[in-house]
Amino acid sequence: MSQEFDPRERQTLGEREASDLPPSLLAEVVAARRPVSLSSQVEARVMAAVRRRAASPRYSAWHWFTAPSVPPWALLAAAAVVLALVLLRPAPVGSPGAASPLAAAAGPESVYVRFILVAPNARQVALAGTFNSWDPAAAPLVRAGAEGTWTVTVALPVGQHQYSFIVDGRRWVPDPAAPAVDDGFGRRNSVVSVSAAQGRVL
Amino acid sequence: MIQGDRVERTVEPSDGAVVRAVLTGDVEQYAVLVRRYKDRYARYASRMLGSVDAAEDAVQDALIRAYDRLAQCREPENFAGWFFLILRNRCFAERRRDRRSDGLDQARELTAPEVSHAALERAEQVRSLEQALLQLTPEQREVFLLKHVEELSYDEIAARVSTGVPALKMRMHRAYDRLRELLGETR
Repeated sequence: MSQEFDPRERQTLGEREASDLPPSLLAEVVAARRPVSLSSQVEARVMAAVRRRAASPRYSAWHWFTAPSVPPWALLAAAAVVLALVLLRPAPVGSPGAASPLAAAAGPESVYVRFILVAPNARQVALAGTFNSWDPAAAPLVRAGAEGTWTVTVALPVGQHQYSFIVDGRRWVPDPAAPAVDDGFGRRNSVVSVSAAQGRVL
Repeated sequence: MIQGDRVERTVEPSDGAVVRAVLTGDVEQYAVLVRRYKDRYARYASRMLGSVDAAEDAVQDALIRAYDRLAQCREPENFAGWFFLILRNRCFAERRRDRRSDGLDQARELTAPEVSHAALERAEQVRSLEQALLQLTPEQREVFLLKHVEELSYDEIAARVSTGVPALKMRMHRAYDRLRELLGETR
């Protein structure tokens, strides 16, 4: 195993102790050891989510045990609707209704899709996905009305896309009403399938 | 509690017993695991992500995700280790996403006429260690935190993150070099 390292590095590896740090930084390390307690609301929120899942056979942990081959996104399709994802209509080339910057890129194989998120306490909401290189600045949502409904309409090429909402520039929130897939890093990305022929969004 | 010569003891169910109860339909038992692990890795998450708020979101998401995947927990008695890996993945993903969006955030702050919420949050992160650690890769940051803040041995860290001790020491070595470089710029 030691062949992985050159002799000079080997001399120092394993001797990296906190005491090697500058005194001022060592003090910060010690300070960082203070316990962290999270809000008691975490338990309430987690259990609320758990109960919602348990209320639906499709969400139950038992279901995962008995039918693990069922893809999660198929189960999530029955989620309580907090967000509505609505296909408006196929996007004609050069449509005057193309208000989004993304619409300029809309081709004949694109359709307009409106994304809606209900987030009354959010200060800003954005939409990022495979269709805009996960750029948090590409598709900001606009608050519509006093109920905390945020919306944006984008032109998406026909096909399947993954996306997520970004609330207040920090929290990545999957669409609770849409199918979702694992992003490979332990998070969930929502999935939208766009079909020009049928005009439906999965 | 000892009363006279009678010993009274409240026996807490093991993690394995709770997991099995939940899987067989007693969903409310999951609250036992939530209470047991809500704070256990909160410090790790908050140091990895740079704020308690972010840690709260991460722990909450990880607990829900753990419920979703509970039937895949192959060693129910080791729920803690399994849950830690879920939380760890969540923290790594957030750090990588933050890195992708950092450039854009900074550009917006430079042009925004008012002080944004993100800028205020950033201003709170004035501690040098916090700032310097945020510049490390998630892997380097993690090994530094587990070793020096959580005070785990290299063997314990290796068991938790399924990485060999030599590789962990190499990460620590790189972390120290990078920290020295970063702190040399500011101190």
